[in-house]
Amino acid sequence: MNALIALLPLLPALSAVTVQLSASPRGRCAARISIGFGLLAFLLASGLLVASIFGTTLAAWGLRLDPLAALMAVLISGIGLIVRLYSQRYMAEEPGYRRFYVLLDAMIATLLVLVVADHLLVLVVAWHLVGVLLYWLLGQDLENHAAHRYALWTFFTYRIGDLPLVLAVVLLYRTFGSWSLSEILTTLQAGPQTDTVFGLPLIDTVAVLVALSAFARSAQFLLHTWLPYTMSGPTPVSALMHAGIVNAGGFLFNRFAPLLANTGDVLHWIFIVGLVTAVIGSMLMLTQNDIKKSLGYSTMGQMGFMVMEIGVGAFALAVYHLIAHGLFKGTLFLGSGGVIKEARQHDGVPANPLYAFAVERRPARRVRPWLPMAAVSLVLPLAVLAIAHWLVSPGFLEEQGVIILLIFGWLAGAQLVFVTHHHLQSETPWRMMMLVLVSFVLVVFGYTLVSHLLGLYLYPDPQFREHIYAVAGIDLFWFDVLVVLVAAAIVAGWLRVYRAERDAIEGKVRKPGAVWLGFYALVSREFYIADLYTWMARSLHALATRLNIWLRWI
Amino acid sequence: MSMPTAYAAGFFLTLFPLSLVFNALFGWARHPLARSALLLVWPQIGLLLFTEVPGGAAPWAIATAGFYALRMLAVREMGIWTAQLATGLWAILWLVPPAGDPAAVHLYALAMSLPLVLLVLVAHHVTRRFGAAYAGAPGGLATRTPRLAGVLVVAVLVAVCTPPAAPFFVLLEGMFRATLSQALALSLVWLLWSWAGIRLIQGMVVGPGDGDAMRDLAKWIAWAYGAGIVGCILLGIHIAGGLS
Repeated sequence: MNALIALLPLLPALSAVTVQLSASPRGRCAARISIGFGLLAFLLASGLLVASIFGTTLAAWGLRLDPLAALMAVLISGIGLIVRLYSQRYMAEEPGYRRFYVLLDAMIATLLVLVVADHLLVLVVAWHLVGVLLYWLLGQDLENHAAHRYALWTFFTYRIGDLPLVLAVVLLYRTFGSWSLSEILTTLQAGPQTDTVFGLPLIDTVAVLVALSAFARSAQFLLHTWLPYTMSGPTPVSALMHAGIVNAGGFLFNRFAPLLANTGDVLHWIFIVGLVTAVIGSMLMLTQNDIKKSLGYSTMGQMGFMVMEIGVGAFALAVYHLIAHGLFKGTLFLGSGGVIKEARQHDGVPANPLYAFAVERRPARRVRPWLPMAAVSLVLPLAVLAIAHWLVSPGFLEEQGVIILLIFGWLAGAQLVFVTHHHLQSETPWRMMMLVLVSFVLVVFGYTLVSHLLGLYLYPDPQFREHIYAVAGIDLFWFDVLVVLVAAAIVAGWLRVYRAERDAIEGKVRKPGAVWLGFYALVSREFYIADLYTWMARSLHALATRLNIWLRWI
Repeated sequence: MSMPTAYAAGFFLTLFPLSLVFNALFGWARHPLARSALLLVWPQIGLLLFTEVPGGAAPWAIATAGFYALRMLAVREMGIWTAQLATGLWAILWLVPPAGDPAAVHLYALAMSLPLVLLVLVAHHVTRRFGAAYAGAPGGLATRTPRLAGVLVVAVLVAVCTPPAAPFFVLLEGMFRATLSQALALSLVWLLWSWAGIRLIQGMVVGPGDGDAMRDLAKWIAWAYGAGIVGCILLGIHIAGGLS
C-alpha cells in the first residue's frame, strides 16, 4: 500500500520518458500517452484522497501522504490532466509538440513529489526543479528571445526564493539532526524551541526564510514582476502556472504550519506583505488593457489575499482559496484564447450600460433611489456572512482573523450587490437582484461550510486550530484601531467613487490634482519596479564586463 | 598547515589572485583532452596539499567564488566561462575540511570537475561545427542542432549546481560547514552562477535557426553524454546520503 505514494509521481515521470522515447516529434501520440498516464495519476490521487479522508497515512522513501498532500495531489493531477487535454489541439501546430508534453509531464511529476515530500532534501530538490522546468515551459518557443527574457525573470525570482529554503533546511537539520520534516514538526509541536542563530530565535529565523521562499513563488510584492510579464509563453503553461505552480507558496506555508504556529510576529509580517500585495495587485489589474496581463495581476492580488489568510491564522482557508483560485483562474486562462478570437471576429462591441461601466468607466444615468439601495448593499451581505459563520461556528467572533476576513468578504459582497442594482439594466431588475442574492447566499454558505470542513480535515486537532488563531492575534486595542482604519479606508473609497459618479452624471469635469496625476503615473509604470530591477541587472552586467577587461578575461 | 603549503594549495584550489594561474593555463591549453585532464587533476593536487583549513581561508574562498561568479555574467565564450566556473567551484572546497574523511573530499572535487569536463567536450563539438563556442554567435542551436543543444543545456545546468546533480550537494555540504553569514554569501554566489548559466544557454540555444544546415550530434554520442549526466546525478545522490 505504501508503494502507491511513490507511484503517484512515478506515473507522470514514466509518461515523460515514454513520450520522449516512443512518440514522433510532431505526432499526436505524445498527447495520447501523456493523457493516458495523466488520467491514471488523477484516479490514483483521487483514490488516495478517499483513503486519506478515512484516516490512512502512507509513508515510504522520504515521501508521506498526509491530508494536505492528498488534497494537493488531486488538484495538481486534475489540473495537469485538463491542461494536457486542452494542449492536445492547442499546441498541435506549435514546434516542439513532443518536447512540450515531456516537460509538462516532468513538471507534474515534480509538483507531485513536492507535495508528498517528507525528506527535507527531496523537498528542496523538487522546489528547485519546478523553477527550472517552468523556465523551459515558458520558453517553449525556442526562437523567441522575448519569451526567454521573461522566462529568465521567472527563473531568477524562483532561484531567489530557492535560497532561503535551502538555508532553512540547513538550519533545521543542524538543530534537529533529522531529515524528516514530519519528525521535526512533531518535535516542534511537543514543546517550544529555545535555540538561537546569531542571537535570533531559531524558529523565527526559519519561519522568515520559509516565508521569503513562499513569497517568491507566490509573487508577493517586490518579488512579483515575473508573473504579469510571462504571458509570451503558451496559454496552457499560463493556465498551469496560475492555477497550480503559483499556489506553491500557500502549500509551503501549510506544510510548515506547526512551525509558523510558534511565531506570532512572523505571522503579522506575513499578513502585512499579503495585504500590500493584494491591494497593489488589484490596483494594477484594473489599469491593464491586455487581458492576459490583467489576469496576471489578478493572480498577484489573489495570492496576496491567500497570504493574508495565512497571516491571520486561517491556514485551511488559504488552502481552500488556492484550490478555488486554481480552478477559476485555470478556466479563465484556457478560455482567454476564445475570448480574443470572439473579440477579433465581432469587433463592434455593443454600447450597452455594462460596456459603458466596465470598459469606459462611465456610470449609468438611470439610477434607483440611492440611499435605500446603499443601505441594502451594506447590511445584506454582512447579515448573510454573519449568519453563515454563526451557523457553522458560533464562537467565530472570538477569532480576530475571522473578523478581518469577514471585512473583506463584506466588502466584496457589498460591491457585488451595489453594482448589480446600480449599474446593470434589466427588464426585470428585482428578479435579477434576487438571483444575485440567492447566488451570493449559496456561495457564502458553501464557502463557510467547505472551509470549516477543510479545517477539520487538514488540522483535526482543535487545540492546534485555536492555538494558531491565538498566535496570529494582536493586542485588542491595535486590532480595534486596525479595523476602524480599514473600515474608514473602505468608506472613503466608496465616497470617492460616489462623488466621481455624481460629477459624471451632472457633467462636471474636475481637473485632477498633481498628487493624483503623480500617482496615476506611478501606477501606469507599475511603480517602476521592473525598471529598477532592469537597471540593477544592467549595472551589475556592466561591472562584470569592466572587471573582465581589467583582468584580461583570466 | 604551513604558510607556503597553504599558498601552494591556493594555486590549485584557486583562491584569487592565485587563481589567475589556472585560468591562464586553461586558456593556453586549447585541446579538449588537455583541458579535461587539467580540470580533473588540478583540484586533486590542491587537496593533496590541503590538510586543514587555515584561518581566513573560508571568507577568502567565498569572496573568490563570488568574484568569479559576478564576472561570469559578462562572459560569452564557453571556454572562459568554464574556467571561471571551475575557479569558483573549487574554491568552495576550502569550506570542506579534509580531516574527517580525505577520500570524501577527493570525491567532492571530482563531483565538481566532472560536469566541467562535459562542458569542455560539448564546447568542442560546438566549435567544430560553428567555428567558435560563443553565446550569440552562432545562437539558435536548439533549432539547428537540437541534440547538441539539449546536451549543452543539461551540462550547463548540472555544472551550476542545479539539484539533484553532484555539485549541488557539495555546495550544500559547504553550507553545512559554514557560518550563517557565509552560507548566505554562498547562496548569493549560487544565484549568480544560475543567472550566468541561463544567460549562456540563452545566447547559445535560443534564436532563429537560419543559417547553414549543420550536422547534429550522433545519437550514440548524445546517449554517452546522457550517461555522463546520469552519472553526475547518481554521484549526487551518493554524496547526499553522506551529508552531515
